[in-house]
Amino acid sequence: MLEILINLMTLAVGAGFIGAISGLGGGVFIVPALVIVAHMPMKVAVGASLISVVATSAGASVAFVRDGWTNLKVAMVLECATVTGAVIGAYLAGVVPTVVLELLFAAMMLQSAYFTVTKRGDDIVAKGDRLSERLDLSGEVADLSGTTLHYEAVNVPQGGALMVVAGLMSGMLGIGSGALKVMAMDYVMHLPLKVSSATSNFMIGVTAGAGALVFLARGDIATTVAAPVAIGVTVGALAGSRALAHFKVESIRTVFVIILLLVAVEMGWRALSGI
Amino acid sequence: MAKQEEDRILRQWTPILLRSILIAAMAVLGAGLVLSYTFAPDYYVEHFQAAQHGHLIGKETLGLLFERVRQGNPHAVLTIGLFVLTLVPLARVAFCFILFIRERDYTYVALTAYVLAGLIAGVLAGRIG
Repeated sequence: MLEILINLMTLAVGAGFIGAISGLGGGVFIVPALVIVAHMPMKVAVGASLISVVATSAGASVAFVRDGWTNLKVAMVLECATVTGAVIGAYLAGVVPTVVLELLFAAMMLQSAYFTVTKRGDDIVAKGDRLSERLDLSGEVADLSGTTLHYEAVNVPQGGALMVVAGLMSGMLGIGSGALKVMAMDYVMHLPLKVSSATSNFMIGVTAGAGALVFLARGDIATTVAAPVAIGVTVGALAGSRALAHFKVESIRTVFVIILLLVAVEMGWRALSGI
Repeated sequence: MAKQEEDRILRQWTPILLRSILIAAMAVLGAGLVLSYTFAPDYYVEHFQAAQHGHLIGKETLGLLFERVRQGNPHAVLTIGLFVLTLVPLARVAFCFILFIRERDYTYVALTAYVLAGLIAGVLAGRIG
């Protein structure tokens, strides 16, 4: 028993740490690790992964919100789009073949990886557009050196449109799609990368939480797997969220690209192996 | 009410809310894992192997779940712990909703109400489906 517990928790601590820093939630690692290494069926892995995303989001947000990395208003505006997508997605699941979605998602991840590789630093804009000013989406965050960084948001409708797609993917594929969320905020809305990842972290908890509740209510969660994963991921996320300020934007981008490629491979593999 | 005040309350109270629910969930989950050893030494490994074969406990009514918690059933205690954990995101959307009502920030009242309604619809759709 102890051996299994230690293995599960070690995996989960790592997943929570990287999930918190990248804003992707850590489910990316949990699913393949449980399926390939622990020989769990896909359904058990997805259930544990949903729980792990909720735990990462909650654990990481404690420090991210307190330190000002999470832009709560951006999160709330965009959550409307994600939730819309997720609800439509939940209804559409079964109508559109999953294989098509998974391949599409894999292709999107590859494209995101390409964009991320070609981008350097943050491109902060000096003035927000009318809608973002109306919604009061600008923010300030103090970096480690103590300098305060002021940023504005632009292109809210375009960012929102991408969030609907992210929600659709979550609803139909049962994934957090944090990668798309970070992309939408970083690229389209010109928010700083660390703010994008912290805000994505905050948001993924909501859709994953709804998904996890459905799984729990149906009794579809293997508690002996999900419980140690939840504990480990929370510890990892708490540590990761405190470490965020110490990382350079470029190193986060590198981690982000590696994860995007991993997701692409994972989704491609899921599509082609018919799981 | 000034926007700064609203932001200050959000930034101060959201982490406290998150941390309290997280601590409660972790305590219940920890207790459940300890219970699974004291309940029967092989309980954990047996259930882990059953999960590997795709055998899950399945749907239980809330009444039955609480009855089992009283009996010290580890699976029931762990399920409660996971339920508490999944309440974190819902609780904080609800918290924001209430705060925005209090601050009369009606744009955000509408936005958070929409998110809450969507989440509830999603959960209900999932339960029916």
